[in-house]
Amino acid sequence: MSTSTDLEPRPASFDNDPTKTIVETRNLGKVYRDFWGRKKVQALKSLDLEVRRGEIFGLLGPNGSGKSTTIKLMLGLLFPTQGRVFVFGKEATDVSKNERIGYLPEESYLYKFLNAEETLDFYGRLFDMPADVRRQRIENLIKMVKLEHARRRQLKEYSKGMTRRIGLAQALINEPEFLVLDEPTTGLDPLGTRDMKDLILRLRDEGKTILMCSHQLADVQDVCDRVAILHQGELKELGRVDSLLKIQDLTEIHASGLTDDAKRQIREIIEKSGGKVDRMDNPTTTMEDLFLEIVKESEQRPGRRGGRGGN
Amino acid sequence: MRLNPDHFWTYSEWLFQHNALRDGAILSVILALLGFVFGYIISVVKHGPSEGFLRVSQIIGQLFTVDLPKMSFRRIFAVAKLAVKESIRKKILVLIAIFIVAMMFAGWYLDPKADYPARLYLSFVLTATNYLVLLLGLFISCFSIPADIKSRTIYTITTKPVRPLEIFLGRVFGFAAIGTLILGIMGLLSYIFVVRGLDHDHGVESIDPSGRSGETSFDNRHRHTYTLNSEGRGTTNEVKGHRHIVTKVGDKVVVGGPIDDLTARIPIYAKGLSFTGRDGEINEGYNVGYMSEYQKYIEGDSLSRAVWRFEGVDKSLFKDVMLYDLTISAFRTYKGDIVTPVGGLIHFRSIDGKVKSEDEPFKVKEFQVDRRSVRTKLKGFIEDRPADLDFFKDIAPDGNFEVVIRCQDRGQYLGMAAADIYLRPADLQFWWNFVKGYISIWLQMFIVICFGVMFSTFLSGPVAVIATVAALVLGFFGFFVDDLVETTSKGGGPIESLIRLPTQMGSQIDLDLGNEALQTGILMVDRGILAAVSQLKNAVPNFSQLDTANFVAYGYNLFGGLLARHLTIAFGYFVLTALVSYFFLKTREMAA
Repeated sequence: MSTSTDLEPRPASFDNDPTKTIVETRNLGKVYRDFWGRKKVQALKSLDLEVRRGEIFGLLGPNGSGKSTTIKLMLGLLFPTQGRVFVFGKEATDVSKNERIGYLPEESYLYKFLNAEETLDFYGRLFDMPADVRRQRIENLIKMVKLEHARRRQLKEYSKGMTRRIGLAQALINEPEFLVLDEPTTGLDPLGTRDMKDLILRLRDEGKTILMCSHQLADVQDVCDRVAILHQGELKELGRVDSLLKIQDLTEIHASGLTDDAKRQIREIIEKSGGKVDRMDNPTTTMEDLFLEIVKESEQRPGRRGGRGGN
Repeated sequence: MRLNPDHFWTYSEWLFQHNALRDGAILSVILALLGFVFGYIISVVKHGPSEGFLRVSQIIGQLFTVDLPKMSFRRIFAVAKLAVKESIRKKILVLIAIFIVAMMFAGWYLDPKADYPARLYLSFVLTATNYLVLLLGLFISCFSIPADIKSRTIYTITTKPVRPLEIFLGRVFGFAAIGTLILGIMGLLSYIFVVRGLDHDHGVESIDPSGRSGETSFDNRHRHTYTLNSEGRGTTNEVKGHRHIVTKVGDKVVVGGPIDDLTARIPIYAKGLSFTGRDGEINEGYNVGYMSEYQKYIEGDSLSRAVWRFEGVDKSLFKDVMLYDLTISAFRTYKGDIVTPVGGLIHFRSIDGKVKSEDEPFKVKEFQVDRRSVRTKLKGFIEDRPADLDFFKDIAPDGNFEVVIRCQDRGQYLGMAAADIYLRPADLQFWWNFVKGYISIWLQMFIVICFGVMFSTFLSGPVAVIATVAALVLGFFGFFVDDLVETTSKGGGPIESLIRLPTQMGSQIDLDLGNEALQTGILMVDRGILAAVSQLKNAVPNFSQLDTANFVAYGYNLFGGLLARHLTIAFGYFVLTALVSYFFLKTREMAA
């Protein structure tokens, strides 16, 4: 049970200081209970984390680890049973914070009987945007998510990828400072995934703060500045992606145009210095890069099959 | 149809003299207190006593400091527009097709032999529209928010700066808009159906040798007789609630379309009705043994009489003739001549009784309206001396007069209520009364939508439907609560009854606990509880009071005051449901 001191408001300077955090959770916990108030599951235990202005923050964890619960608590869709969560220095249940937030839910929960324009118009109105501003934003966003050809089609006719893109567009309708993306790449093909990741990075470069949770670890690695790893409702790891992934006693050298003799000399130098060469061979590319390259080539020269990899 | 005295209270009379404003204020206070206590108990369970109090106070405070001032019309409009689109997507316009089919079949089943076909047609269309529209309101309002929660589309709304009241208002206005559209179409179709269904022509079957009267042809299962004046104009007699205008054009007699079947009478009612007994002394009228005490009776061939007192009647409303309607019933203590109706005498007199018109005999037309008239130049008596009178100079110089009725037949009784005689200065346009009838249906639909949306903020769709229906059914039985409150005077209130029952203390014996202070305390608490219960019954709408279909069907003007009362009541429920919805939406975890 919270104490009355938990209800103290955040200092007014919190929101004006650019170095401060956008989201702060303090000892945040959530217990799901049944109708009779009996404890069903403890979804989140004493979570303390901060999302800082201008970063891409990733929430990682297996199913049931508390990622979605954390996001829902931040958005005020759930109320904490323990601790507090502040967004822009305000209580998460404060509706006014939503003016500055964009949210892409896990499955783009949109009204299927609306078309793309109507959808964006509806959400634009919810932000109390005047008609001319709405029209301009709708135009820009439909172009940005590449749905010009389907702007008048009802969402029930959309593919999963298209639904995801219109979902993202609605999350950006208010030009939010803080974007919450729940599984942003789910349902997207590799091209769509790459576009989404590029867009996330671009939004970060524009100064937006992004919180995303994803099962796609590669995606998280590609775009996130910092990550928190949750398991069974507990925070297991928190930090910068590059430092978390760095293997301290392993050195990686990328070089091209080396002769066999040069490679032998390098091996000798390493061994002479007391090191050990674990592996020295040609690296492989990622499947994502290979796929994107093939699609790109195919678009440039239709009808030809690529000649990589033999049989 | 029976008009009760409360039907013709003016709006201000209802509000101030009959304590609607006071009762509304008391109910608001009781509900606010109950709401606070209920919310506090839940909050205490979740957060403990001090933080629980703080949170409940915060929510109340936020309503007035943030959520109400920062409401946006644009957001409400967006949610309303979405509700309209959602309703259309659910194909609710099919309801209009169902209504059209119902009307097509109704043409077969509406009894053409009925005495008043207009009443039958109007009752049918108004009742059918009423039920269909209430069902529509019930289902669209109860399933919308639960469907959004189930499909999780609510996530994309509540994560925008949308306030709880905006969600409620948007839904209510959206559903009301679609309901208005459907009701409007149904109203138009109904009007056409009624007017076309009642329209008919007659030819002339026979003309008497004088050429001044005759009979029409037998059409639509009836015929009329007619009489023409010296200018060749006249009307038929009234059959099946209507007449026709008859005119002589050259040698031909032409019968026009039906008139008087679709009317909206604007009655001027008496301010009071008093009785005298068989001995001439004032009494409350006789009760002939019926359970209903709506009408009281006067005895035939005695000094027993009924006196209606009219006040402030505007003489400019009447020129040569003053029309009035009688709806008096008869009670026979012996069978007598069953074919001949019981007779009565009627006269008009000044308030001081010095000037009066001659007695005019009449025969009681039971179960129908007896349309009568009195000339403004008439014969009568001034202080018992015969004289030619001018109604508005001699009898009612200031618009005040009395109407006196006696029963002629010995041993028979005539029954009457305050509303059984009224003056008819002019009729309102029927179509406008018809529209007012539909406004009344709209108000009922609006209340159902308000309750449906309110229940759907914390219940699932099917449960919200049951809860809404339960509230409406409870409203119908509100009079039981009045009975309960009144009859408890015999056995005491709830606490007193709890003492009397186990101690087997009879209801005739005064409560005696041997402790004066305790006894007074118990009686006071009991009185408080009963008063609160009596007020609380008003928290659920009583649709039988809001149903005004009979006004239209029976051809009475639906009084502006009555409609204004219903509007006020609907607004009261709107505010009540909006507040309840606000607290539930504000405290509900949308993702739970």
